[in-house]
Amino acid sequence: MVTPMDTPLLEVKGVSKTFDGVVRALDDVSIAARQNEIVGVVGENGAGKSTLMKILVGVYPPDKGELCYRGRKVPFPKNPKEAAKRGISMVYQEKGVIPRLKIYQFLLLGYEDKYVKFSRLQIDKMKKHAREILEELHVKCDAEDFMYELPLSTQKMVEIARAILSVRLERGDANVTPIIILDEPTAPLTVEERRELFSDILDMKKNASFIFVSHIIPEVMEFTDRVHVLRDGKLVAHYDSSKEKITEEDLFRAIVGRESSEYIYKPEVKRVVSEEVVLTVKNLTKNGCYYDTSFDLHKGECIGIFGPAGSGKSEIIKTIAGLISFEGGVLIVRGQKVKADELPHVRLGRGIGYFSGETGKELFLNWPIVKNISIVNIEKILLRKPIPVISFNAEKKMAEKIVKKLRIRAPSINTDCYSLSGGSKQKVSVGKWLERSPDILLLEDPTIGIDVGAREDIYETSLEMKKSGISMILVSDDPKEYSILCDKIMSIKDGRIQKVLSPENLRKVMAA
Amino acid sequence: MKILGRNRLITPVIIQTLKAHPVILALIALVVMFSGLYPERFLTPLNFSTILRQLVTLTLFALGPSIIVVTGSLDLSYVGIWMLGGILVWLLMPILGMFSILVIPLLGLATGLLIGVIQVKGKIPSFILTLSLLVTYWGLTATLSGGYPKPVRGYEFITAPLIPYLPTAFLWSIPIITAAVFIMNRTRIGTYLYAIGSNEEGVQLAGINVDKYKILAFTLSGLFTGIGSIILFPHLGSAAPVELLLDNVVWPLVAIVLGGTPLVGGSGGPQRTILGALTVAVVWRGLLLSLLQPEAIKLLVGLLLIVSIVVGARGLKGVTIT
Amino acid sequence: MARLLLSREWLRRNMTTVGPMVAAIAIIAGFQVINPFFLSYQGITTLVYAMSYFLIAACGLTFVIMTGSFDFSVPSVLKLAALLCVLYIDKLGFLVIPLALLISVGFGFINGLFVAKFNVPSFMATLGVSVVVEGIALYLSKGFLHMMYDETFRALATTFIAGLPSIFYWAMGIWIISTFIAMCMPFGRHTYAVGGNPIGARLSGINVERHRIYVFMLSSFFAGLAGVLYMAQLGGGSMLIGADMPIPLFASVVAGGTALTGGVGGPHRTLLGVIIITWIQAGMLMLAIGRDTQMVIFGLIALGVAIATIDRRRIKIIK
Repeated sequence: MVTPMDTPLLEVKGVSKTFDGVVRALDDVSIAARQNEIVGVVGENGAGKSTLMKILVGVYPPDKGELCYRGRKVPFPKNPKEAAKRGISMVYQEKGVIPRLKIYQFLLLGYEDKYVKFSRLQIDKMKKHAREILEELHVKCDAEDFMYELPLSTQKMVEIARAILSVRLERGDANVTPIIILDEPTAPLTVEERRELFSDILDMKKNASFIFVSHIIPEVMEFTDRVHVLRDGKLVAHYDSSKEKITEEDLFRAIVGRESSEYIYKPEVKRVVSEEVVLTVKNLTKNGCYYDTSFDLHKGECIGIFGPAGSGKSEIIKTIAGLISFEGGVLIVRGQKVKADELPHVRLGRGIGYFSGETGKELFLNWPIVKNISIVNIEKILLRKPIPVISFNAEKKMAEKIVKKLRIRAPSINTDCYSLSGGSKQKVSVGKWLERSPDILLLEDPTIGIDVGAREDIYETSLEMKKSGISMILVSDDPKEYSILCDKIMSIKDGRIQKVLSPENLRKVMAA
Repeated sequence: MKILGRNRLITPVIIQTLKAHPVILALIALVVMFSGLYPERFLTPLNFSTILRQLVTLTLFALGPSIIVVTGSLDLSYVGIWMLGGILVWLLMPILGMFSILVIPLLGLATGLLIGVIQVKGKIPSFILTLSLLVTYWGLTATLSGGYPKPVRGYEFITAPLIPYLPTAFLWSIPIITAAVFIMNRTRIGTYLYAIGSNEEGVQLAGINVDKYKILAFTLSGLFTGIGSIILFPHLGSAAPVELLLDNVVWPLVAIVLGGTPLVGGSGGPQRTILGALTVAVVWRGLLLSLLQPEAIKLLVGLLLIVSIVVGARGLKGVTIT
Repeated sequence: MARLLLSREWLRRNMTTVGPMVAAIAIIAGFQVINPFFLSYQGITTLVYAMSYFLIAACGLTFVIMTGSFDFSVPSVLKLAALLCVLYIDKLGFLVIPLALLISVGFGFINGLFVAKFNVPSFMATLGVSVVVEGIALYLSKGFLHMMYDETFRALATTFIAGLPSIFYWAMGIWIISTFIAMCMPFGRHTYAVGGNPIGARLSGINVERHRIYVFMLSSFFAGLAGVLYMAQLGGGSMLIGADMPIPLFASVVAGGTALTGGVGGPHRTLLGVIIITWIQAGMLMLAIGRDTQMVIFGLIALGVAIATIDRRRIKIIK
């Protein structure tokens, strides 16, 4: 294990940034990264993390502040290339990968001048150098494959390799320790992939220092040497894991500024499961994804399917939703056998709703809140039952009811959704399902990427829906979510259900 | 594609190529079908040379736009450049003599540059922009020519027959096509253009000046169309054209899509477009040989167009089509 | 108040509503100044004739553009419907009308099938279909001019009520119906949904494929209707019907405020766009501007208008 030395490699002091003279994104923030360490920068959405990183990488300049490299004051970079010259490079949360390029092309993208001879690229030389770097950094892949052929975590590794390489090339020095900013690197990954990614990054500590930006508390706690906490643009806490023992609760409190709700963890809230079976899955099979899956879903019950990536949990829930077809076995909803290749709108007709945490997919962002809620509930707002004419009054009342119930923070029900915060958008989605009250609601990653406060509101609403008789199936990467929402958890591995756990057992299993 | 030993080379390579370029199968099927139906008329050297002539026309029109399609944009200006270029040659003939043909590549270059700058700086969708440009150039051509095609003498030597049954225009187009393929596959700009087509934002994040390369792409497209038009000018009758034939606009696009370059960009390119153009040429020729009524042929061609579109659109799985 | 009105944010947000209205007023005023007969009874009748069939076709096209697609086959379908009427009115009497409409809807169905089931980009699919439709029209009409002598048929469009020809009332009726469908009926909501976010629409229970087909069928139906009424108005026609239609038609829908990106706008906006475009067209005719220059000008207008209305928020990268 490489231990960080004491003089900071990179230090930012007293950085402030205001946008348009109004929005104070950063207020006198100072962070430091030491040699060969992983330092975390955490906070809710809007806390200022990404603004700080963008300043470090040269996207825009700060209003006030100092930058020191190895103790010496240096000017802030004016663009990403300059930042790389200073030793700072960033791996973006998304859209950093170019799928149709080959790995060696992506790795060396932008640095082809070293390989150009009479305007012709020396491809063999490029491939050779690419292979060398990938080997040095232990990235397991073949330089000749396309980027899209790689699993997501390996793609991230290639992105990290590229970031390290760009610093070396810009400085012209292969021995420099680059400072790599990882912006929410694990957001699209599953538990398995995250574990792999982190072990690979830990491996790379000897080659670089990392600034790990995230809001996922358990990860930050496990993989960082030190943590800076930002809230509303200010640095509110700084923990050093080698010197003090911090709990998740401490971090949570620092990030959110309040105690996490107690009542959510009370077990009594959950046990309202009836005898009636609403959904039966028998020997459901899809080659390459899941095999012989069988379970019954009772009314008012929430079942969680828990497992690593590729285990089939995502495919099973998508199958029930109608997004994927199944090959073998039987799916029975409300006593009726269901066809294997039905589309989602038919499943909705059967009483199955699907909610995914990626709100871009589900919401109509350029529509106002009121229309987003009503689109799934049109039958409820018709003027007179069989005639297909919409009653604007009924529509308005429905939206007002939901906004109030879910405490959605918005100027009015006519506000367009694209201007809402991530948490509010998610609430609009949950709200529309609350109104729709399907018999069965499928939840996939319901709280991915949103802040802790909004998350709690969504749990509260979900439990309420459960109490009112809606059955749910949950697939997520957050073990805490399973213990909060589920009555029963099935663990799945390689496409097969392994065993059934209760929420308390799951906590024990996770701690192991 | 890992090649194990020389003796194992042939079969896997052939299968791999066929899988990557399904249009080859279509091509072979069509050739076999037409040869079977009209052996005396299809399998003649004269027919062969006619198909090559068609190929030349389609390819030289489609070469420029196929570069742009790789980046995920569209360029419909090619016919406009050819038309306006033609009339400009006629106009400048008395002044510049034989050198006036050089105005066409210059026009192409300028047009491409203009389109690129407007597209990038004005953030205007390329489809509408180049369509408007096409219509504008057509209008200009009509105005300058007074509505009648103007013949121009003096460039016939470009397409004077050299080798029997091998159109000279085809020979001239080989270096042009080769240059396009080389640029797309062996240079830095080619890599960047494929990358932009695959994920433009990602290329931006990688620190590359996307605007610059997009402008460059459009300029190249215009330039290639311009240079190609030098050959197309005598090839298509040595007269400045006046009618905007929808055919000239649509079929090169079909060649691009059929060849295997998806309209969303990121893969394909000029090398694929040649195959697509060849297929289209074979289809046309085969149909003409069937001696059907001209109206019936037009109908059939339209139907085949639709079929080819469907086939070509197969490669767009997973992309939301509007 | 004035400061608020002129603030950039307000302008940007309401550009698509205010822009067309300002443009319309400016154009009317401009032309009236140039030629005092512009707003005379004669002038207005001419304009109404130019506008009505156009509006009907544009309403249908609006629905397609709202879903984010193109329909280039509208002018061709209009042509075929018109020609079918004039060619077979003697043999079939008034049955030609349902026949023409049925065939038009059929082509709309084919368009929808290609786009929804076979995943063909709409501009290519409808272009292809229009080639076929043109081929059929050519085949049937043999390229000749055909005259319509049936007075009852012509009365459909040319009966004068309250000083305006009946085709005007047809057009207004269609426009009102279209607007109602778009704003107050689930079908309209679904159309906005499919254009705004196809995946979201699917997950909200909308059968996206089926809806797209319906929308194309609607567009072609209106195109056919416009063709029938146009033939009644003209009293005769040939392959030249609708030759100058594609660009102005497209421009009028987009000028009204229905953006190409889909999910916004609607038939209520299209009225404004049609007014602007057809009145510009009439005005240019009056100023004796040549056909070619007209095309150029329309090309530029279409361009300008499409640019102004594209919702840049939705597409970060403009290709």
